[in-house]
Amino acid sequence: MPYPPPSRALSGPRRRSLLAGAAGAALLAGCSSGSGESDGSTSGSPSIAEKVRARAARDSAGLVERYDAVIAAHPAVAERVRSLRAEVVRHAEAFGGTVGKSGATASESPSASPSPSASATAPVTEKDALADLAAAERALADRRTAALVDVPGELARLLASVAAAGAVHAYLLTEGAR
Amino acid sequence: MSEKASGKQELTALQEALAAEHAAVYGYGVVGGRIREGRRTEARSAYDAHRARRDALARDIRDLGGTPVAAAAAYALPFPVPDSAAAVRLAAQLEDRVAGVYSDVVRATGGERRRSAAEALREAAVRAVRWSGESVAFPGLAERAATGSASATPTA
Repeated sequence: MPYPPPSRALSGPRRRSLLAGAAGAALLAGCSSGSGESDGSTSGSPSIAEKVRARAARDSAGLVERYDAVIAAHPAVAERVRSLRAEVVRHAEAFGGTVGKSGATASESPSASPSPSASATAPVTEKDALADLAAAERALADRRTAALVDVPGELARLLASVAAAGAVHAYLLTEGAR
Repeated sequence: MSEKASGKQELTALQEALAAEHAAVYGYGVVGGRIREGRRTEARSAYDAHRARRDALARDIRDLGGTPVAAAAAYALPFPVPDSAAAVRLAAQLEDRVAGVYSDVVRATGGERRRSAAEALREAAVRAVRWSGESVAFPGLAERAATGSASATPTA
């Protein structure tokens, strides 16, 4: 698709900024409707929301433990996965959980680990360990995407974002590795 | 909050998302013209994905009794895009922007529309990282973006 060179293209009533104006608007919307009406259009019952939030915190904390197990077993991948682990810690915190420095959680022990096969021991080969982590991230992202339909708007938005981050992690742990 | 107010919020969020998808479709047109051949297929499939989302949003808006916002005739690019590297940066920004509007759609809608918006957010986030190589902790949440991002290091 042809487009006019920037020098002569900046006037005209139909011309809109591709990013700046619109992004500003989105930012405003994000802020203005953020608090006061936090529960948005679909309000699940508070107890369901609280359950989902607590579960999300536990799940992220459990995921951090899996990262720690992989890092412990395969120090060579530590550099690569550390930044992803740090993001998962922030996810746990965003859901109200806490993660100790070693990865031990202050909340209850993760009753549901992100994937069925998971105990906190890492597979033997690096490649398998990363593939396992990726599968755990993806499975958790799927579960969160399913769960977000039942909760109030603001929590749903956070779940959607964290699920997206999980999918990104899964991508980086597999595709990005090649 | 009243049914009416939430319906209006829903429509507003969907219109914002549609406007962003219009911009993304335009932007990927630019990307496609500049990006190196090795990544052209990827740009093409992103372009197609945004067109499909754009059409789905327009349908949703009509279903709610709204009139879908039209695309602009042209859009000012955020920076000059003379070469493939700039095209990749533009693509990453387009995806970030789209992720941001979908997170608002998730908040403002429910049911199937919300689920679909969450999917769209997820896809945009993955495409963003394919272009940029940079993972962010909270895709689509501008208010959490300032607190630092981790960078992963894909070899691609």
